[in-house]
Amino acid sequence: MAGLIGAGGGVVLLLAATLGVKSWVGSAKDRLEHPAETKAKVAIADQAEVAYCTPRFKEVLERVLHSCGLAQDETRRGCKPADVKTFASISDADFNELFTPLKDRGAVILFDEGMQDLDEGAKKLLEDKWFQRKGARYFFVVARASKSGNQAKNRALSHRRANSVMFDLTSVANDPEIDKKVGLLWLGNEFAQLSKDYCSWPTSRPNEKCDEEAINRSAFVSWVDCRL
Amino acid sequence: MSVVGCLLGLLFASYSTMDYAEHLDRGLHDIHCSFIPGKAPTSEAEACRAAMYSPYSALFRESMWGGVPISLFALGAFAFLGGFALYLWLARERAPKVAVGFFAGVGITPLLVSLLMLTISVSKLGHLCKTCVGIYISSFLLAVGAVSGLFTLKGGVRPALSVLFVVLWLMALGGTTLVPAAVYAASVPDQSPYLSKCGTLKQPKMTAGAPVKIRGSRAIQPVMFFEDPLCPTCRAFHERLLDEGVFERLDVDLLLFPLDSECNWMLESPIHPGACIVSKAVLCGGDRTRAVLEWAYDEQVYLTRAGKAGANVLRAAIKQKWGDELLKCVDDRKTDVQLNQHLHFASDNSIPVSTPQMFLGTKRVCDEDTDMGLRFALKNLAPEVLQ
Repeated sequence: MAGLIGAGGGVVLLLAATLGVKSWVGSAKDRLEHPAETKAKVAIADQAEVAYCTPRFKEVLERVLHSCGLAQDETRRGCKPADVKTFASISDADFNELFTPLKDRGAVILFDEGMQDLDEGAKKLLEDKWFQRKGARYFFVVARASKSGNQAKNRALSHRRANSVMFDLTSVANDPEIDKKVGLLWLGNEFAQLSKDYCSWPTSRPNEKCDEEAINRSAFVSWVDCRL
Repeated sequence: MSVVGCLLGLLFASYSTMDYAEHLDRGLHDIHCSFIPGKAPTSEAEACRAAMYSPYSALFRESMWGGVPISLFALGAFAFLGGFALYLWLARERAPKVAVGFFAGVGITPLLVSLLMLTISVSKLGHLCKTCVGIYISSFLLAVGAVSGLFTLKGGVRPALSVLFVVLWLMALGGTTLVPAAVYAASVPDQSPYLSKCGTLKQPKMTAGAPVKIRGSRAIQPVMFFEDPLCPTCRAFHERLLDEGVFERLDVDLLLFPLDSECNWMLESPIHPGACIVSKAVLCGGDRTRAVLEWAYDEQVYLTRAGKAGANVLRAAIKQKWGDELLKCVDDRKTDVQLNQHLHFASDNSIPVSTPQMFLGTKRVCDEDTDMGLRFALKNLAPEVLQ
């Protein structure tokens, strides 16, 4: 009798264990073949996106990117004042206002009157800003010229300033894809001139007198932490 | 005592098997990891998870995804021994000597296996899984009960039984031990179709910067890893690759992906504080890169504590181990840029924000195929690394 009970007990335990195994594997198989629709979302690696990336800001940047040669496989580079006016479809004040949140992220590179050469302070500041990339994808250079001189001359001068910045970046960055990262805009003296208030922004000549003329002999540079 | 030992053993082996089987759906689940039977599964079960993912937890892991967990053999054995213990308990003095002797002999085998697994846990895994310890204790109770039965044989007359019964019982024990494993093996789903469904690299080559190269001593298979030196899962993965004998067959392109918001903009707060600094130390390793990485894994608990204490504490730890030159490199802006390039490579490829990640060629190996299914996945995707 004891033998029968023992054997019966063993069989019951084995049966229970085996049915358990069958059931656990069966439910896992069922879940595998019919996964639940609401799966936890996994974060995906992407460029940075910070608070100032408002829809309006991104819209303007995106237009600039596509129109100024950063879109894939385009040979044309840079945007002249007329382009910016057209593509940005935005007033001077609103254009400058968009860049206000970049005050600490970016810097203003200052030039001598009528010149496009970067001094040592400018090179150092530019290099510092370039290597503080973090999660940004695009680096913007917005070059300007002051009111002195005629429109054509200033347009050309701001273009040369933008190119100066680009040449310097190319030499320090050692990045074969730099063309796809840097957006060049030159505004001459005809669009989005800076007011004297911008003298309080970080500049390459912090110890020099700054006025509305000086602040527009410049190139504003900054990484932009927006997904575009 | 043996009956109690067998029932406890069955219970703990059932939890272990249940946890294993649950993961056959390729999801990540909480697991049972307690000395108290019936306690709910938990996500805080690193030791049990490490044991479950280890190469010692299952057999035939190349031919079957996850293999056949050894807890299944425990289930069958405890069921047989439980029945036999029940018989001896009921029969008491009427039990034949040969039955008592047989039970004493086979009753210690779970304990012997437990001692072997305990040695492996301590020497290879470095920690003890509570559910496994539950099985060890159950085996001990069973063995004590079985052997103590021998002391009841003195004096008294017991019915005689042919020794042939021993052969029959051994065959029954063998059969019952195999039944749950056979049922499991016959029911597991085929995971092959799922192996290549976890995406590919969009941009396999870095356009700026370069990955860290670590070449195994018998490297044959190019592979790309995204790792965080302060991530416990990465450490466990690295140890698994070493234990499996796979790492030496790999030609590794290592991308540092520290889960630390100090340098990684994809996080709002640091998951592993200090991981950016330790990652830079790995980048600065030069011809000692692998040594620096393995040091970071070995000293992960200490480095994590140092990371929480502050950057300077961590920098001091790096300087103490690797010297001033390496620390200078860690503080160099070029190293920041290099780490940033690794993170941008991750972002350009839209990989999940998690570590570790493994790519064979451009193909991403699913997370679940880097732990339980590692050998099966490698057998299917890169069989040469297992040779």
